[in-house]
Amino acid sequence: MGMSINQPSTFEHFLITTKVEKVMNWSRATSVWPVTFGLACCAIEMMAAGASRFDFDRFGAGIFRATPRQADLMIIAGTVTYKMAPVIKTLYDQMPEPKWVIAMGSCATAGGPFDSYHTIQGVDKVIPVDVFIPGCPPRPESLIYGFMKLQDKIMTSSLADRYKDIFEEVG
Amino acid sequence: MAEPIDPQTPEASAAPEAPAGPYVYDYAASPQRQIVLPKTVPLPSLKTYLAEQKAAAAADEAKWVKMQADFESAKAKAEAEGKDAPKPPVRPVPRKDDNDLKTPVPQAAQDADLLTLVALLGDKVEEIFEQAGELVCQVKKEAIFEALKLCRDEAALNYEMLADESGTHYPAATDFAFSVVYHLTSISRRKRLRLRILVPEGFVPESACAIYPGANWMEREIYDMLGIRFANHPDMTRILCPEDWEGYPLRKDYPVVGWGQRDITFREDRGGMIERIALQKAGQLGINLKQPKAE
Repeated sequence: MGMSINQPSTFEHFLITTKVEKVMNWSRATSVWPVTFGLACCAIEMMAAGASRFDFDRFGAGIFRATPRQADLMIIAGTVTYKMAPVIKTLYDQMPEPKWVIAMGSCATAGGPFDSYHTIQGVDKVIPVDVFIPGCPPRPESLIYGFMKLQDKIMTSSLADRYKDIFEEVG
Repeated sequence: MAEPIDPQTPEASAAPEAPAGPYVYDYAASPQRQIVLPKTVPLPSLKTYLAEQKAAAAADEAKWVKMQADFESAKAKAEAEGKDAPKPPVRPVPRKDDNDLKTPVPQAAQDADLLTLVALLGDKVEEIFEQAGELVCQVKKEAIFEALKLCRDEAALNYEMLADESGTHYPAATDFAFSVVYHLTSISRRKRLRLRILVPEGFVPESACAIYPGANWMEREIYDMLGIRFANHPDMTRILCPEDWEGYPLRKDYPVVGWGQRDITFREDRGGMIERIALQKAGQLGINLKQPKAE
């Protein structure tokens, strides 16, 4: 064969070869739609991150959906009380797979200053969390950094991960 | 030469307690879990203030009498021993306080509104006083509905608005457990007035909803936080805490971290959701996870 290994083949001039999994991860990571859901002052920073100065839309995450059925990401921005916990659980259950959760700020991460009877000490007692962002409240840069970490996680995830927990649960 | 360590000795065999991870927080030993009940009743009241002043003056007088008696005995003793007489005692003058830093004390009522209330309600008023220019009227707990109606409808009073309604727990008090305070505002006359009742545990005061409809949620909050039920309230349910909450959080005997609500887990598979999803997904992949039928 006369074709060298360094020279592209005829097809490779107009074709890109990749894995299906990688394409799906890329498309998921670059169009993560969060659900419009703010609980406390962290939501103000989340709104600032979505507005023009910080422009969350650069990462494909600027479309805050008003229903969990169209959203991929839930940003828990604020204090989670025991009265709110079943609501959060319901919203999370209503989100279609694949779905991710960011716990934003010290309240959603670990209860924050509210070591008290009404506050859940971390939203991970209610729903699984992918990225924890410290800060009280975190600046929009922190949220964007945490979101980029989530994008990294999505890019390195596998299609089989989704079924792992389920099969382990059934046995 | 060092002694060889025998693993069978009780010191060595007793395994040290596994240290809890730094992420494990012992709620039972938490200082927030401990209850410290207050010893005093910090309820502003003219009667209490006057009684306290009288008791302090009596204590001062007793101290002075004792100092004089001590001086007399010391003098007699010195004369008997032929020594110099001791210095006579000097009565301590109370130091002048900086009035700016002092809490305003309750004073006798002079405002026309309070006098009108006393004239109209008679012996149903337990106490009236002014403190820092604010009017306080304590009425009998059975007469609060009548007093509120009077405050709103009487032309001389004309308090149109119930700005706030609040409750406080006083566990150290003997003849009552809670105070319920009604903060009234007269917009037309630009005045404010506090009505107060003292209720024991289990007493059901009359609801103010029929007079001031805005009292609805405030009374629900008082019920939620302190456990005072109000009679003839349209919807006497919890407003802030979840419906199945145990206890009343603003009582002083309620621990700050709560009574075991910390241990609630929401992530357990209550409805069998995980199993249902697993069966569904496995079916999509062509795997039959269902148990074979007995037939």
